[in-house]
Amino acid sequence: MGEPLATAGSTSSDYFEPEDPAFNEALQNAVLPGDAEDVSQLDAALNPEDYPDLIRTQHTLKRSHSMVEDLDETLSFHHVIPLEQRQGLSDEDEETYGASAFGGFGQYMRRKRAKLQIQNAQMDDTDDKSSEKSRIFQGIAIYIDGWTQPSVQDLRQLIVKHGGTFHAYLDRKAIVTHIITCSLTPAKIQDWKHMKIVTPDWLVKSVEAGALLPWKDFIFRPDDRADEIQGTKRTQKSLFDGFVSQTKSRTPTNPPSDDSPADKPKAGTNTLNTPDASIEVPVHQEMESAQSALNLLTGPKRSRSKYHTIYMTDPATKEQAARIPGYAADKSNPAAQRVMANPEWRSAHTSVAPDFIEGYYKNSRLHHLATWKAELKNLVSEAQDRVENGVAEVIKVDAESNLDDRMEDGVSMRRTELNMKSPKAKGKQKAEAEEKVIMHCDFDSFFVSAGLVDRPHLRGKPVVVCHSQGDQGGSSSTSEIASSSYEARKFGIKNGMSLQQARKLCPSIMTIPYEFERYKRFSLQFYTILMSHADDLQAVSVDEALVDVTTSVAQLTAKHPSNPDPAKEFAEMIRSEVKRATGCEVSIGIAHNIMLARLATRRAKPAGSYHLVHDDVAEFMAPLEIMDLWGFGWATHNKAEEKLGVTILGELAKKSKSTLCDTLGKGTGETLYKAIRGIDEHKLESDKPRKSVSCEINYGIRFENNEQAEGFIRQMAAEVARRLDAVEMRGRSLTLKIMKRDVNSPVEPPKFLGHGACDMFNKQTPLATSGGQATSDDKVIGDHAWRLLKSFNFDPKDLRGIGIQIQKLESSSTPGNPDAGQAQLPFKRLETPTKSEHDACSSRNDTKDRDIFQVVVQPPSDDIVDVSHTVDGHGLSRAQDPRTELPSFSQVDMEVFDALPDDVRKELEAEYKRRLDPPESVSLGNPARRPEPRDMFPKITIKGTNVKRITQQLAPKARSTISPKKHNIFRRSGISITDDELRELDIDPEVFALLPEDMYREQLSLARQAKKSGGIAALVTEANRERIEIKATYRRSRSPSLYPKKPPPKANYLEPVGIKRPGGQKGERLSFTETEDVQKVIQSWVETYQQHPPYQKDIDFFAKFLVQSADSSRSTDTGMEKSVAVLKWWLMLIRRYWGMWEHEVGEDGVDAESGGSGSNLPVGKAWWKAFRHVKEQVDLVARKKFGGSLSLR
Amino acid sequence: MTSDVSLTFNQTVRGITEFIEVAIHAILYVRQVYPTDLFVRRKKYDTPVFQSRHPSLNEYISGAVKAIGEELVLGNVDKVVVVIKDKNQVALERFIFSVQNMIEVEPYNKDTSVQEAMSSAALGQYFRAFLVKLNMVESQIGQMYLGEDVSFAIVLELKDDRSPSVSHSKDPPPWIPADNQHTTAGASTAAQLHMLRAVDTGIINLSLAVQESEEKLRREREPEIDVKGKQRAV
Repeated sequence: MGEPLATAGSTSSDYFEPEDPAFNEALQNAVLPGDAEDVSQLDAALNPEDYPDLIRTQHTLKRSHSMVEDLDETLSFHHVIPLEQRQGLSDEDEETYGASAFGGFGQYMRRKRAKLQIQNAQMDDTDDKSSEKSRIFQGIAIYIDGWTQPSVQDLRQLIVKHGGTFHAYLDRKAIVTHIITCSLTPAKIQDWKHMKIVTPDWLVKSVEAGALLPWKDFIFRPDDRADEIQGTKRTQKSLFDGFVSQTKSRTPTNPPSDDSPADKPKAGTNTLNTPDASIEVPVHQEMESAQSALNLLTGPKRSRSKYHTIYMTDPATKEQAARIPGYAADKSNPAAQRVMANPEWRSAHTSVAPDFIEGYYKNSRLHHLATWKAELKNLVSEAQDRVENGVAEVIKVDAESNLDDRMEDGVSMRRTELNMKSPKAKGKQKAEAEEKVIMHCDFDSFFVSAGLVDRPHLRGKPVVVCHSQGDQGGSSSTSEIASSSYEARKFGIKNGMSLQQARKLCPSIMTIPYEFERYKRFSLQFYTILMSHADDLQAVSVDEALVDVTTSVAQLTAKHPSNPDPAKEFAEMIRSEVKRATGCEVSIGIAHNIMLARLATRRAKPAGSYHLVHDDVAEFMAPLEIMDLWGFGWATHNKAEEKLGVTILGELAKKSKSTLCDTLGKGTGETLYKAIRGIDEHKLESDKPRKSVSCEINYGIRFENNEQAEGFIRQMAAEVARRLDAVEMRGRSLTLKIMKRDVNSPVEPPKFLGHGACDMFNKQTPLATSGGQATSDDKVIGDHAWRLLKSFNFDPKDLRGIGIQIQKLESSSTPGNPDAGQAQLPFKRLETPTKSEHDACSSRNDTKDRDIFQVVVQPPSDDIVDVSHTVDGHGLSRAQDPRTELPSFSQVDMEVFDALPDDVRKELEAEYKRRLDPPESVSLGNPARRPEPRDMFPKITIKGTNVKRITQQLAPKARSTISPKKHNIFRRSGISITDDELRELDIDPEVFALLPEDMYREQLSLARQAKKSGGIAALVTEANRERIEIKATYRRSRSPSLYPKKPPPKANYLEPVGIKRPGGQKGERLSFTETEDVQKVIQSWVETYQQHPPYQKDIDFFAKFLVQSADSSRSTDTGMEKSVAVLKWWLMLIRRYWGMWEHEVGEDGVDAESGGSGSNLPVGKAWWKAFRHVKEQVDLVARKKFGGSLSLR
Repeated sequence: MTSDVSLTFNQTVRGITEFIEVAIHAILYVRQVYPTDLFVRRKKYDTPVFQSRHPSLNEYISGAVKAIGEELVLGNVDKVVVVIKDKNQVALERFIFSVQNMIEVEPYNKDTSVQEAMSSAALGQYFRAFLVKLNMVESQIGQMYLGEDVSFAIVLELKDDRSPSVSHSKDPPPWIPADNQHTTAGASTAAQLHMLRAVDTGIINLSLAVQESEEKLRREREPEIDVKGKQRAV
């Protein structure tokens, strides 16, 4: 071998001439699957050509791609083609190209292989004019897996031209030396973990370099984005996700070099060796740092009162409760007791309400703070990652202009991103010799000052931020004060007090509501400013951060050496910058370590900065209390006081280290000993990984039975699962935290719907799927949690708080512990955020979770797909979001593609073209550029990334919305059905927009069918039916719960008939409905007219009342009762005054009427007559109901 | 079980049917339809009541009340009349339980607390008032002196245009058409109605009244209980 093949022909028949020895030889030497024993390389026999346009052509899409792909899919029957047979090809074309017999699959495959090899050879021979031969791939047998960029076809040409062997089938691992791929399924990764898997870049670069580059520089890492502009994140998480974060860019970190020839597989080496080669696993730095990292959750800022009183509105332990001054008037909350007695209220507002969790998280301040903090931390560490990877550019974000664009509605920071100042060196790794400058930056009463920005009239007044507004809740409000202005603090008001307490201290206190939106915005601006100056940054909370500004200060010092305190000047600069951006004051404490910086901030407040320099430390610390030190609390304070009798740091400084260790325990003692001397070894913690994910709710938990409790647990499990998915984690351990009402505390605690004094219980259980894998599955979590809760055997009525925490997190894409349990098929659950962010989120929101609750879900931001490229394809968007579903072009069946209608095809073409553009700029190397690809690559790639990130920020922030409705509408608007069309189909667009996704398709098709199928009648009935269906389904889908959706029935009381105007007393307009009142009116009437017969008007008036009251169509039977009682009273009265007339009139009415001459006769007679008349009328209506007449006996 | 929770529809129906059953026993006792030693004293609604010990009588009453309950749930009932009649089937007194359905309740809400409705505890108190009134009914309509031959019947009066629902079991329907003269519709103008008590639950309002028939009043006025008296009146 090694002889150039001199072929001049161009038609295929030439190659099959028996007298072409070179070709025969080539064939002989060709490596075919199964030929492992006598591998001889095709290399030399071939005449590689220097194709100057090769790389350019790699984007020319060829129909044959699909064929090649198909072949990969075909079952690989291994069969060795007899050599003779191959040699005989030229003689008997039919052997290879003849028709296959039915059932001759083996034959088919055999032929196919032969054809492929012939094709390879052919390829090699086409237009080879040059006698030069590249043999750089000599001895390398390559299999290409899946979709690649450049395409398989081009790679194959490349390989063959440069002396390599291309295998279409991977029948045996042994016969190939390398596998080329851009993306691998986890199964394959597992399967080929001992193979050399490289990216196509290896080949391309090697050809460009004219030499075989070390393959190790191009090791395929599962995270490598095959094609960034494709917008589709890999659909399956690969197993090596944990290792890839330092190689975000797909540009090789090590540029190709001409060294390490040792790595180059030698030509002719036995390819059987390859199984020994293994993929190098890069060890992630962060993994190490993870172990050394301290507790991530520094917790919310604690109030540090000198009085050792803590202020909180809902203490959980009795110990805490004892230290809290009464913030509520009653031991138990009477309002809560009252409302809890009402079943409707209860079902609507406590944990049994279906949307309880949603509401809880929407309104929980602590939740917002915690989420933001986590998000801020992620942003910070992301920024640092980018800095470390050397890809970040120095972008100083113009806080004022950009942030507003980033901030859409929704109270999440996920989409935003911080750009870290480009590093001189990473802060942490800096030589310790240099004195650090740590700044502790903290907003002054953040919530209040943020709220005051647009409430200037409240400035200078005592203002607090709490839920309860105005006079709402009145003087007994237990609403907790989250933040108070300095003016309010003068009154002794402290954060954490209840509003009621604060009102006592300062009756004129003003309240302003929470404005999470604004806090978030300010917080981001704050962090953006800090980021631009910091070497390193630790997010403490939304309004508080620790920054390492050593470099900046050093620069400043260098510039103005005369400046006495550049650090302070720098701090003032930051302060004014923040003030300009947010309008709020920040206080900055400066020192050489974290602890001192925190202390310095206390001195700096309000609105100032303070530099605690080395020499002042001892003096500064001496008067402080233990509790003033960060990280030391009440418990330490108590211990010190009890055992040492002192709590002042100055005093404690005199104690020996061992004394402190003895009294406070080794760790605490030692830390305190150092702390007192101003030594703090804590490092800024900016990139600590999350250790647990949890969901805890202890407000409004009121269950009546186990079913409700279980339902709630499951909802919480779903919530936890969602959070796990959001951070792409899975857990192996679950802790259930239960707060159970203390037996001695009232059922309704003082804090409205709070938890009150509770006993706490924790239980932990290993969490695993049935296969022993870590999980983030809500069902599994729910099962475990519920089992734990059941094992407590608590009365569900006593539950006051539930928390589910998942620990032992592992990335959802790293392989499970391989030796744990039995071997598993390496199928991984498809992670949620693999599709377009937008899509994943929307579907999550409207389908199954819709009926449970909606919480902001934040999948990791690096998964964000650029949503700004909205493709407005009519035909496409209907089926699916084209961005997510379009296969790469090489996978497209060209026949089908050609058969598509013109407009659709054009659209597709345009879309593919759009996608292809960027890589062209990357890899469309013209020869001039080639010598320095290194310069080109990183820059371009980075640009791409950054542009993408920016567009993300600018793009409508559909994802983080809290309101699912808004989201739906946004999404639905992408559906290519117009409102007009909907109306035509007799569907109300508004109703339609609210339908869950699965339904609206159904409805749409039904409606269309109806329209097609028939006349108006059919349409109408169909439409009606739909409406009914919609209604029914809606009800079903919204509530799997027991609770009534419609308002519960309401009692109906007929308005009692009353007397509006009491007779005889004009001018007075009263309404009498009660029997006694009416009786009084009657009495006064009768008594007024003792000497005079009653006026007919008055009689009618009373008659009207009595009749209406007795009328069953107007009144109830109580009205009848009343009527009877009034009549009886009237009867009694007239009997009293004119008793003697009763019988006379009764027996002989005509007589009495005509012959009335006595003094009392006319009056008495008239009264009796009136009475009987009225009685008759009443009888008449009573008869309608009961028959007979009323008895007044 | 008493509580402050407002009644549900089903609770109201159950409460009313239960009360009707208790009241029927009380009526039979008070009006001396059966000998007093047939009854035992029991406590119900915190008040002493008398309950028949006669098994077949109890069975009749409970069967009838059950059937009443079935109609009551459907909202068909207008009145339940316990008519006391003499040996000639002439109605003498009618104890009228009048019910009035105030609200329509969807089937799925029948066990939901009705907002603003009366609580079950309060309803119990009302029933007690009913029974107290009933036990004192002699003060209004006098002692029953009509002799040994009185008997009684339970008449169900439905709302206009309603008919008793078809029974779902094989058993024949519990109701037969009533003798018109036993019903309130058959009461003559001279019949005297005494309202005993009424209650508005807001769900189903209930009242109890007793009606003396004209015949009874006539006999009272003319103590001779014979045909002769009747003839004289005509």
